[in-house]
Amino acid sequence: MKINRVTNEKLGETVYTAVHPSGLEIRVMPKEGYDSAYAVFGVKYGSIDTAVKNADGEFETIPEGTAHFLEHKLFESEDLNAFERFAKTGASANAYTSFEKTAYLFKGSENVGQSLEILLDFVQNPYFTQQTVEKEQGIIGQEIRMYRDLPDWQVMFNLLKALYSEHPVRIDIAGTQESIAKIDADLLYRLYNTFYNPANMVLSVVGAVVPDEVFEIVDRCIKNTGGKAAERKFVKESGVPVQKYVEQQLSVAQKQFLLGYKEELSEPMLSLEDEIASQMLTEIIAGKSSPLFKRLIDEELGDMGFGGDVFNGFGFSCIMLGGTSKDPEKAVEIIKDEIERYKKEGIDPAAFERAKRKFYGRYVMSYNDIDDVANLMMNLYFSGYEPFAELEACKKMTFEKVQSRLDAVKDEFSALSVIKPMA
Amino acid sequence: MPDIRMLADNVRLVSVNTSRFKTGRISVTAALPLNENAAANSLLIYLLKRSCKEYPEFTLLNGKLDELYGASVSAGVTKLGEAQVLSLSAVCLDDRFALTEESIFEKCALLLADMLFSPNCKNGSFGADKLATEKRLLVQRIEEELNDKRTYALKKCVEYMCSGEAYGKAKYGTVEEIESVKMSDVYSAWKNMLSTAIFQITVVGGCDADKIGDIFEKKFKKIQRNPVKPQTVFIQKGRHFNRYEESFPVNQGKLVMGFRAGMSNSRDNIHAVRVMNDIFGMGTYSKLFANVREKLSLAYYCWSRFIDSKGLVLVEGGIDTDKEKKVSAEILSQLSDLRNGKTDPEVLESSKRSLKEKHTFNTPESICAWYASQLLDDEIVTPEEEVCGIEAVTMEQVCEAAKKLSIDTIFMLKAEGEEVGGDEN
Repeated sequence: MKINRVTNEKLGETVYTAVHPSGLEIRVMPKEGYDSAYAVFGVKYGSIDTAVKNADGEFETIPEGTAHFLEHKLFESEDLNAFERFAKTGASANAYTSFEKTAYLFKGSENVGQSLEILLDFVQNPYFTQQTVEKEQGIIGQEIRMYRDLPDWQVMFNLLKALYSEHPVRIDIAGTQESIAKIDADLLYRLYNTFYNPANMVLSVVGAVVPDEVFEIVDRCIKNTGGKAAERKFVKESGVPVQKYVEQQLSVAQKQFLLGYKEELSEPMLSLEDEIASQMLTEIIAGKSSPLFKRLIDEELGDMGFGGDVFNGFGFSCIMLGGTSKDPEKAVEIIKDEIERYKKEGIDPAAFERAKRKFYGRYVMSYNDIDDVANLMMNLYFSGYEPFAELEACKKMTFEKVQSRLDAVKDEFSALSVIKPMA
Repeated sequence: MPDIRMLADNVRLVSVNTSRFKTGRISVTAALPLNENAAANSLLIYLLKRSCKEYPEFTLLNGKLDELYGASVSAGVTKLGEAQVLSLSAVCLDDRFALTEESIFEKCALLLADMLFSPNCKNGSFGADKLATEKRLLVQRIEEELNDKRTYALKKCVEYMCSGEAYGKAKYGTVEEIESVKMSDVYSAWKNMLSTAIFQITVVGGCDADKIGDIFEKKFKKIQRNPVKPQTVFIQKGRHFNRYEESFPVNQGKLVMGFRAGMSNSRDNIHAVRVMNDIFGMGTYSKLFANVREKLSLAYYCWSRFIDSKGLVLVEGGIDTDKEKKVSAEILSQLSDLRNGKTDPEVLESSKRSLKEKHTFNTPESICAWYASQLLDDEIVTPEEEVCGIEAVTMEQVCEAAKKLSIDTIFMLKAEGEEVGGDEN
């Protein structure tokens, strides 16, 4: 393996990267003074992967929630399960599934090499039977119920369902009770073999590690399956939402809302530059030093939790703004007026400078945390970027670029999701 | 060992000097007895957080923070045993990374000191509109506790369990208490805090902690200090077993079982209780994870948590409402196994390894939280010292600690009109 060094002088950090003959990307950042290491082994397979290419080269639909189901099942094996194996090294292990990926991880200070071997081994060796699959349906069923009761989660998924008609970003990450009932051991093995090959994966390790030792372990433990990166289906959608308004009653104290602006995409992914520009724009519009934030608080239409975010990935991109409010319609009216004002008058250059400094500071600060850095390096790889790309994009950001992102905020492409207390 | 310096009577500076992080963190914590002043104290800390003399509006203050490379200031109210702890913390970029020559850390410390000692307050008033806003936001914060049923159920269990004790009091005070707070109460709360609270200023980062200490020392010099140390009553045994319930239109029920840990103070038998609780229901090797979740598929989560500052153990699980009896019986049966030594020795080793990892801190937040939680302790314990204690725990001590665990209160949040449950396995 050829090992590359990527150094960011200002940050004082170096990443060692390599591509294993199997196609696995490896990114390692040793951090001086740290006692623990964090490793994450990610697969490009998330809840939006609801179609797989079959032998005839056609996309075939699979049940919702398979990526998450597999995540649960991989911890099992014929003898000691992964948790029991990690208990012997002391590392704490976990996993998560998001829209676009499944990630397996551990954090530990002792026996890091041994923990890394366990991580690589259990993810490469699936074992499940019809019986263990059925047992998991009970546990995941409880997980689905838990999320159904969380208003923050519901307000967002209701919005996604209102914004997107076809794109699978509209479905729940864990699927539904009905969809997971369709999952059996055979299907899981088939999907495992499709997605879980090193060419579709990345290993990111940060903290108290020696890069050469990581590369040596990878060389020894990764099986070259000759697989290829799985092809993802680009579900192209117009910007027009399915419905402009959606509401749900839940057992909550106050109304909550989330306003979403969908962006029409011609390419599957936003560039990193556009993504960061949109984030800065959102900060300028709705951040804690913005006139909008103050107005919502002063007029008793918002709380300190009000804010915005950019939500984007393969085939989807939107800006979301929301919080708790006694009158979401009125709050939304004010937000929309404010956006129209920016469109007419342009954004304030001083606010742009503040946002840029804030983002730069926050990006640097995120390198404190070995968990955050390891996940960041994985995400950058999956989006096709080198380490530190976000810092460079932030430094080069221009006022004009941020201003131009206002064009992607269109009222006709917006939808509003509201959660109301039970009557 | 961190550096410790007394800045004034019961004002302690605890600093961990390290250059491994990209940030600096300063946390000011103030402990007061948890009593009828809780509401005024809570409003006070949020009022202090929103502005100061130099930046009288929160948009101006936040704008200043943005300029300081996205530094942030947060305020918090927590319970530490029967003390109410008010905190004001700042996180900022380490000076090494500034794009110009400036000390961000010192500027943040000065800002924090200004917020605490020179608030935007004229003639005893923080501004009627500002107080009204903070009341509204605090009431909303309390009402929103209902949104997350998991947290809500834990809170209710503690409220019922400690109903005759100061610990049963809500950390922010009640909605009624908040609404009846007058401006003069907040002003008195401010004066009272500066004079009587037990303070700790915890600093983690590559800065010159002495300079930070000097900034606060100068401010405290002008204050007439009469510190009052909050005391916590420990009840060692569950006195009266009670079960309470509430119904909500939700999908999943929440079971909380409250136990007394048999401790007489926050350090009593601490290592054995910590290990016992971990084996009972913290790790993936724990009895609750292995049985309630993995073996019986009764829950996605079923954990136990240990509150050392009051000697409580709380077990919680998200379950089907009609399976409450089955789950609580299984939890008690696992406790019985733990008491009777029916624990694989390998699990004890796993637990010690895991607890050691949990005491290996890799972020300024976790280091800061570790020391800030010792605000009321005379002696500072390092994570390494805590680990030494944990490693010495024997299986017999674990069994003994489990025997001292006594059930006190059950709170069941029932899901009414629950969807048809999953298949029975």
